[in-house]
Amino acid sequence: MSQPVLQIEGLTKRFGGLIAVDNVSLALAPRRLHAIIGPNGAGKTTLFNLVCGFLSADAGRVFSAGRDIGGLKPHQISRLGIARTLQIKSVFNRLSVEENIWIAAHARNRFLHPLRSAEKDRGTREKVERVLEEVGLSALAQREAGALSYGDVALLEIGIALAQEPRLLLLDEPICGMSPAETGRTVAKIRQLAARIDIVIIEHDMEVVFEIADDITVMAQGAVLASGAPDVIARDERVREAYLGQPDDEDFTEPAHA
Amino acid sequence: MTRAKIEGALLGAFAAFLLAVPWLVPAIADRFWVSVITEILIWSLFAASVNLLFGYVGLLSFGQALFFGCGMYGVAIGIAKLGLGFWPALGLGVACSAAMALVAGVFAVRLTWHYFAIITVVFSLIFYFLALTLRQLTGGDDGTSFALPVTFRLGAMELSLADKTFQYFFILVIVSSCFFVMRRLTASPLGRALAAIRENDTRAALIGLNVYMLRLAAFVISGVLAGISGALFAFFGRYASATYMFYQVSGEAVVWTIVGGAGTLLGPLIGTSLFIVMREVVSTRWEHHGLIVGVVAILVVIFAPSGIVGLWREMVERFVHRP
Amino acid sequence: MLEVVLVLAVNGLIWGLIIALIALGLSIIFGLLDIINIAHGDFFMIGTVLAWTVLMQSGSLWPAFLIAPLIGFALGALIQRIVIQPIRNAAALSIVATFGLSLILQESVRMTFGPTPRRILAPIPGTLHLFGINYELYRLFAALIALAAISGFFVFLHRTKVGMWMRAVRHDRDTAIAMGIPANRVYMVTFALGFALAALGGVVAAPITTVDFRAGVDILPFCFMAVIIGGLGNLPGTAAAAVLLAFLEGVIASFADPTYARITSLVLMSVVLLARPQGLFRGLAR
Repeated sequence: MSQPVLQIEGLTKRFGGLIAVDNVSLALAPRRLHAIIGPNGAGKTTLFNLVCGFLSADAGRVFSAGRDIGGLKPHQISRLGIARTLQIKSVFNRLSVEENIWIAAHARNRFLHPLRSAEKDRGTREKVERVLEEVGLSALAQREAGALSYGDVALLEIGIALAQEPRLLLLDEPICGMSPAETGRTVAKIRQLAARIDIVIIEHDMEVVFEIADDITVMAQGAVLASGAPDVIARDERVREAYLGQPDDEDFTEPAHA
Repeated sequence: MTRAKIEGALLGAFAAFLLAVPWLVPAIADRFWVSVITEILIWSLFAASVNLLFGYVGLLSFGQALFFGCGMYGVAIGIAKLGLGFWPALGLGVACSAAMALVAGVFAVRLTWHYFAIITVVFSLIFYFLALTLRQLTGGDDGTSFALPVTFRLGAMELSLADKTFQYFFILVIVSSCFFVMRRLTASPLGRALAAIRENDTRAALIGLNVYMLRLAAFVISGVLAGISGALFAFFGRYASATYMFYQVSGEAVVWTIVGGAGTLLGPLIGTSLFIVMREVVSTRWEHHGLIVGVVAILVVIFAPSGIVGLWREMVERFVHRP
Repeated sequence: MLEVVLVLAVNGLIWGLIIALIALGLSIIFGLLDIINIAHGDFFMIGTVLAWTVLMQSGSLWPAFLIAPLIGFALGALIQRIVIQPIRNAAALSIVATFGLSLILQESVRMTFGPTPRRILAPIPGTLHLFGINYELYRLFAALIALAAISGFFVFLHRTKVGMWMRAVRHDRDTAIAMGIPANRVYMVTFALGFALAALGGVVAAPITTVDFRAGVDILPFCFMAVIIGGLGNLPGTAAAAVLLAFLEGVIASFADPTYARITSLVLMSVVLLARPQGLFRGLAR
């Protein structure tokens, strides 16, 4: 039984009087795609922020491959192989798509050469081309990142995360704002990636979640409401009440069965 | 016909011009302009140090005069008080500015935005006042002058900056080398990492870049460039004065950079040339050229924030892609 | 010896009240418009020049106490509309714009007023004999005016509609706009008010200091010190910091080179910036 790629124990974060993350525990088994769902304000993004080092926890610990990563800075955590996309898409706007990916691919090098021409680095260049292929942005390689459509920026974010060759990928609402075609493509891609990278995904689209997730954790008001396999979650009364809605509700979503 | 080709040709012509200055300029104008062009080279290096931090890394430093002063005083005090020769004094000036940039940067780079700008001014003011009080050493506001030591000695032959032509070429070589290094830097992996930090420091940290360290590296490099320009200035004028450490000097360099075009290689050179030439031309007839600097600064910021180079590029792109 | 320290300390206190007035203007501009106003010292300088002009034209300094702030307000509003408003989105460039403004103000004054510093005689001559020391009457009067102006400013901020608007926009711009507050007009009033406060400070200070086109350059760092050490957005803190710093500098200047006093304040400012960027007087902020 190998080390869980991500293990969270009793993580708590308070902002003044508000408890944003309340004693959350989670264990991510390897090679499984874990989805975190919950209403807005449930603390999902805050949880990600704690894991990747943007915030420091008030209590609890985070382990990655057995190592306590609490207190590490974001760039140090990134170097351990944890990559993340942001809920509000955030890339290097005035640089080209290719440069965006290049920087992410090269960032792991401890030493950044100050004088050699970046373009001449063949190893990184090949990596960049592969990643561009993988996310389907090869045609837009020279386009300025700030000029991309929202869906393409989301793909670029995923590309930037992939370029870091992560062991663990934290995707924060990756398909938000995408057209149905883009969504289909991206979901397929995420499924593909899940075969070789461990993924935790925050998502609102229930269809997608129940389609690709191996495990689901439901959060509400900062705490874990329920955690387990999709069909278990779908049948859970508390989850239905809090989030999925009752059968008479017009918002009720009948989860797809695997 | 692409923009790159047009700019390449212009650059070539410009380089040719620079090489011919000591003979070309006295033929078409007064010999005194050779000195002016020499001075422009020195100050454009200073502006380039501002440009490196602001245009390429996104940090607006209003205190580069501090490192200029370190270079300047390193040379002046080295020669006048420590009896150093040309090269050791130059080395001292550069070493001082590097050390100062490291120490100041360790603290300054922890801040961003307005607070970074403010603290760079504060640091430069602290040392400005120190330079004022240590009159014995620095000559305060009045300054201190010194005798120029020989630059090269080959047997019986001596080369010193007293020879205006040698001085021009010496400074030209050093300044262009620095610009060349900057060009390589911005196209390098380090340069790209700095650009990433400029664009989005949160994202940069998330992909594994140590934002603090990289900003510090850029700060030190920039400080060294400012220090070199200060050292050259001391040699050029055989003089050092605390007035050159005042924040208004830093501020003018910022204006030159932005008017020329921040984030471009030659922007600082173009901006500096414009203002110094304007100063020389106007000040013989009218002593209030500072007014023009102020007005141009405001006009550029409102109407052409990407500076002269930015306007030029827009124009050329439109010309090249005309239907 | 004690007398010297006492006089310098009291002078420092009085000077601090005047600086507090000017620094409050800087603070609202910095806090509300997010601008590092490098020209703020020159706003003060314009106040001193206006004082001298009014004195020359009318033979009395008193009208200047009203005229200078009014002209300052008008100029500030004009500058905000023409220069500051168009570049609202480029925050870094606003520093360059205010630097350009500073150059323009200094050179304009040098052109019209001339480069030689002038002195103004105090409108209230004489001294007050208190505790064995002679205090210049005018300085005491200046402190009272500054205090009155500062109090008036806080009354304006907390009791009038416009003042409330300013506080609302400072606190949360988007909500304020959603509530119907005309944010752009608030920005204009803020900048104009900042200029007016500095100009008033200039008039009050004119008989104490020299009237000179470079007067602003000395005052500027001091005002920024007060704003940073007092805490950005913390108006009472800024006023308190100004008084404290001037007082400290006055005391230090009594036994050491005044430049060392200035260096000490600057070092203190650096420490605050690095360790406690919200300023030292957090308790005073509402």
